[in-house]
Amino acid sequence: MAPSKRTLAEQLGGALPEGIDALDEEHKQVLGDALRAARRRQAAALSAAAEESLSHVPFLLRGAVRKAAGL
Amino acid sequence: MTADPFGELAARAEILKLARVLGEPPERFPFLATVPAADIRALREQAADALFEANIGVLRRMAAASRLLPAPALAAITQKAFGPLLSARMAGLVDPARGLDIARRLSPAFLADVAAELDPRKARAIISGIPANLVADVTRELRRRNDWITLGRFVDHAGERTAEAGLAVLDDAALLRVSFLLDDKAKAAALIALLPHRRYEGILRAAGEHDLWHAVFALTGVLGEPEYAALARAARELGEQEKREAVRRARELGVLDELGPLGEALTE
Repeated sequence: MAPSKRTLAEQLGGALPEGIDALDEEHKQVLGDALRAARRRQAAALSAAAEESLSHVPFLLRGAVRKAAGL
Repeated sequence: MTADPFGELAARAEILKLARVLGEPPERFPFLATVPAADIRALREQAADALFEANIGVLRRMAAASRLLPAPALAAITQKAFGPLLSARMAGLVDPARGLDIARRLSPAFLADVAAELDPRKARAIISGIPANLVADVTRELRRRNDWITLGRFVDHAGERTAEAGLAVLDDAALLRVSFLLDDKAKAAALIALLPHRRYEGILRAAGEHDLWHAVFALTGVLGEPEYAALARAARELGEQEKREAVRRARELGVLDELGPLGEALTE
């Protein structure tokens, strides 16, 4: 069985604004799915950019930068 | 839920901004049309915070590592490899003086890309410190791209000097588009108040030419009394056909009876 997806409120880590909380569950799910997709896209883009940036760091500094960045 | 027509106009602006943060077309969220704008805005801010926090660990380490690099090298890497999203997220984590030093070395086109991804609440010090000539260049670039949402967010969070430098390069239609998207309606009023009253007629004509009457009507109750009266006087100078079209849009939006002196000028 697939793990259940986190709700919009769970993803936001707090109470929803009143007018959003009053929406149908179906509509809250549309918002939750959109936020989940945005997080996934962001994680992929940041990871690719972090790796790519290392190849542009001057060679002598690359080890120190890799260590500091935890890459 | 709201049955207030001005509330629905405000919600419409908020849906556009929320959709931008989520990277989705606004048409995906028609069910938000009657939700109070303040609640959609609060959701947008929660979503922007959640996205900022989602990768905060790696972003903090990247920001720490960036301190090892001299500014010219970091600026080159920022533009070549970080790309707009990583740069925008890191802007909220670096020392503002250092961020400003890097920003000055970047092209206006790249800064416009970064601006589109940036949460201005996290980088207010950097935004306010950008020199006026660079603000004007980035504003021109955003205007060229028709990126009114980003322009609006920056006017909202920039200091008055920065906002003025940006607005100086916007034409009448662009001003309306940006003012419609501002979070801070008092700022919209202050910015419109900065314009000479002789420009108001042009703004109204631009509303007719670019289907922006909703943005004019959204200024009702926002502008100060002298500015709103000047807007009504300017409306009297419009041609009959322009007035008829404005009235048709006002009826369609359900605001005609709420427009006060502007409504009287359009219907007389």
